[in-house]
Amino acid sequence: MSSERGMSLIVKTTARATIPLIGIFGAYVVSHGHLTPGGGFQGGATIAGAGILFLIAFGFGEMEKRYSHGLYSALEGLGGLAFLGAAMLGLGVAFFYNTLWHNGPLFNGRPGTLLSAGYLPIMNLAVGLKVFTGLVSAMVAIAAYRRWGE
Amino acid sequence: MKRTLGALSLLFLLGVLLTVASPSNGVKFGPGGSEWTKYRYTDEYYIEHGVEEVGGTNIVTDIVFDYRGYDTLGEATVLFTAIAGAVALLRPWRRDGDE
Repeated sequence: MSSERGMSLIVKTTARATIPLIGIFGAYVVSHGHLTPGGGFQGGATIAGAGILFLIAFGFGEMEKRYSHGLYSALEGLGGLAFLGAAMLGLGVAFFYNTLWHNGPLFNGRPGTLLSAGYLPIMNLAVGLKVFTGLVSAMVAIAAYRRWGE
Repeated sequence: MKRTLGALSLLFLLGVLLTVASPSNGVKFGPGGSEWTKYRYTDEYYIEHGVEEVGGTNIVTDIVFDYRGYDTLGEATVLFTAIAGAVALLRPWRRDGDE
């Protein structure tokens, strides 16, 4: 089936050039979530956009080789668990107590630097991972659903 | 008949909302000055104390992940449930002539 091969050569080459850029930009948005606009949800959706571009440009057959359903499901659960774990760090005081910022060993730099804001970078990474894997697995599930009657 | 009633009730609700949302007898848009400290004192607190209490210079992230973390937890749960439901419903439910 020719539609399994993806789109034309120009689209594939452009996708090869832009997918890393989109991924890097999404990683920037996620990791600087406590300093600049954006955060876990937005950055995760941006990286998932790179995955969807890969799926559309190279076709479902190519995506099927690189996509592992178990790995993506496990990573989504892991993102949620990391979020909960970061929320439970200050459980001695309260749930969602930012103990890393108040008296933690790391992530308590000057506000405005990358290693500041307590558990916020951890939570941003966890949410970004969760959103990215969730959206990509949903798109792959939609793409794999069925053929239009061959 | 039922459709007419539904359209009329929608029209009524729209009128009520337009009345309530008009600045003369309801919600004020763009509060500033004394109205800001009267109606937006929670925002004032977040803006003044966010950086020292949470540490992030992005106030929205401070609110979403620290002050109101439960909300984000529920949001992540909603997303998880949506993805799980979509993937579970989109599974092949009949092996009809798999390619």
